[in-house]
Amino acid sequence: MKRITFILSVVMAFALLLSACAKPAPTEAPSVPEAPAATEAPVVTEAPAAPEEVTLVVWDQFYRDVESEVMETLNAEFEAAHPGVKIERVVKTLDDLKVTLKLALAQEDGPDVAQVNQGRSDMGAMVQADLLLPLNDYAAAYKWDERFSSSVASRNSFTPDGVTFGQGNLYGVSPTAEVVGVFYNKTIMDANGWTLPTTFDEFQTLLAGIKDAGMTPISFGSLDGWNAIHEFSAVQHLLVSLDYINDFVYGVNNVTFDTPENQEAARVMQDWVDKGYFSPDFAGIGYDDSNKLFKAGVGGVLTITGSWLAGELVGDTDQEFGFFLLPANPGHTRLAIGGVGIPFSIRKTTTKADLAAEYLDWMTSPRAAELWANAGMLPAMPLPEGYVAEGNPLFNDTLIAWDTINSENAVGHYIDWATPTFYDTIVAELQKLFGKVITPAEFTKAVEVDYAAFLAGN
Amino acid sequence: MKSQRRWPGESRFHGWLYLFPGLLIYLVFVFYPIIETFRTSFYKWDGFSRERVFVDFQNYISLVTDAQFLKALLNNLVFIIFYSIIPILLGLLLASLLGRKPLPGMTFFRTGLFLPQILSMVVVGVTWRWIFNPNFGLLNVGLRAIGLGAFTRAWLGDFQLALPSVGAVGTWVQYGFCMVLFLAGMQRIPNDQYEAAELDGANEFRQLLHITLPSLRAELGVALITTIIAALRVFDLVYVTTRGGPGDSTLVTGFLVYRSAFQQNQLGYASTVATVMTLLIFGISLIILRFQSRDGEGV
Repeated sequence: MKRITFILSVVMAFALLLSACAKPAPTEAPSVPEAPAATEAPVVTEAPAAPEEVTLVVWDQFYRDVESEVMETLNAEFEAAHPGVKIERVVKTLDDLKVTLKLALAQEDGPDVAQVNQGRSDMGAMVQADLLLPLNDYAAAYKWDERFSSSVASRNSFTPDGVTFGQGNLYGVSPTAEVVGVFYNKTIMDANGWTLPTTFDEFQTLLAGIKDAGMTPISFGSLDGWNAIHEFSAVQHLLVSLDYINDFVYGVNNVTFDTPENQEAARVMQDWVDKGYFSPDFAGIGYDDSNKLFKAGVGGVLTITGSWLAGELVGDTDQEFGFFLLPANPGHTRLAIGGVGIPFSIRKTTTKADLAAEYLDWMTSPRAAELWANAGMLPAMPLPEGYVAEGNPLFNDTLIAWDTINSENAVGHYIDWATPTFYDTIVAELQKLFGKVITPAEFTKAVEVDYAAFLAGN
Repeated sequence: MKSQRRWPGESRFHGWLYLFPGLLIYLVFVFYPIIETFRTSFYKWDGFSRERVFVDFQNYISLVTDAQFLKALLNNLVFIIFYSIIPILLGLLLASLLGRKPLPGMTFFRTGLFLPQILSMVVVGVTWRWIFNPNFGLLNVGLRAIGLGAFTRAWLGDFQLALPSVGAVGTWVQYGFCMVLFLAGMQRIPNDQYEAAELDGANEFRQLLHITLPSLRAELGVALITTIIAALRVFDLVYVTTRGGPGDSTLVTGFLVYRSAFQQNQLGYASTVATVMTLLIFGISLIILRFQSRDGEGV
């Protein structure tokens, strides 16, 4: 009897282990029907009673209250400006959107406009399946190139076969953005008479000065892994060219990670570790804990992270904060890690392409920028002339930072986009680098192994 | 009535009918996924696209040459010490302290010591992540408070200490289960055996060795199997505390499966790791069972 119990428990454990990671066979997925030929789709679905009446179906993933409010306002204003046009808004979470959109875009009555996640597995796959409308003509007509620098547009671009990322046709426009830079504790900086650095050398002098004053220069915790990429890559972006970082992330022109610039950035990291510029015991501290200490004014005077932190640093603290872009030395281009939010795209087979394009234009208009900024989110497109976020100087700093790199065409990349395994590889290697288990040269070599394998496999 | 026309043998069919609902659930949600995982391990597949490529034993060949998998497997084996061996020793010790002579507040101790076992691993992980926090965690703060500030560490971020630190949490979770198991087993041992041994001059340690241990053979088997399985399939604790870091010093195969399948879109390879680990667990369990039943015949 007992033996049966043992065997049962073993079998159950066995079963649980396997079932935990099993997924249904792909053959079971319903096959995507062929998209109907464009000529076959006259507007029969429109109600003949009111010939002017047009419904534009829009899928978005702005489900959080503040975001949703912005969308509602923009939609209402669009409807008001276009009599007879009705926006049918469908709100989904990103996960839900990712799962359902591909099938929906293949339907005749699918969404006319939808947010399509960037990257190879989403937008790339949909371009490949010929589900998205190229926006090049509309971009020229509406002068979207004046709103977005080419490095922003390339994030929403693919070659028509959906294979090469970052070039070819434009398939979407993004309403929101983020940028990685330096948050500083204004209260402490002012009290010590420290000023904002304008070159990287000045920045390192500032770090030394803070350390000499007995404080921690950079609040940092690498336990979660990912933010170590930002520390390293922010410095890397001051040393490399935009072409290099573009080629690297889009996997073109056979660039390598094992370069003198990347080694130099890695060396700077170890130098900062040696000099005690990072929080003591940073290896055992999580990202959120590090930020909590920074906010309380005890973790460090600076912290290098993305603009998304701005909202969390307001209120509930007696410290004041500011934000600046990490400066480059003379002779180098100052790039900054940045990204744009999930873009709006148009279904290839829609009969209302012109209206949909006008909607996209509205979604990236100065008015939209203003509403996003009022909601505390960084708009990807320029704000109306002279816009200032009332009573929130920190947020203004991030607005200026994004505007600067967008207008200077200096928007760099999250380098972990480069390959599917890159994130895990570089996080592990960076932890070794910061822990001084490996040298800068070993670091760039180890990461290059991952990158070269990806290029070879493509 | 039809029920009157029942003949022998029909009851067999009826039996299956009763089993059917449970069996169906088992087949659909357990058996089928297992077979599917095994099948997937022979394919190169990202997990969502419609085409998958049959690659023979390629995934298995990659596996044995994958330094990360070998490192993860080694870490799993180290976890056996923390998840299985230490908790069993500790459980034995506590059981022999609590089990023989009734102590005041016995129920309190038993419940308290068992408590970690009933907590969700995520809760355990979050709690210990806080305890290990270098700045305001209980461990470092405590060390500083008693003047041992020199011994404070970045526990979970330290290349030497991360694995033992996460392992210690495993010990904390598992020993209560072992203790309760052994306590239950010890109820079965007649007291006169101990009395006789005492008369013969056997001390507490010899009693443990010659009476308690042999009588607890069945419980030891259960404890070994369940704790070793727990050590080999650990995932949640690592996911919540270190995510395999720093570097790959706490990487375990369970986390490797998750990472390959859901972060790196290599479901085929992930299935291979899962299949190999399942076979390993199965093999180890069979060996323990075999040993145990052979010993059991002597009693």
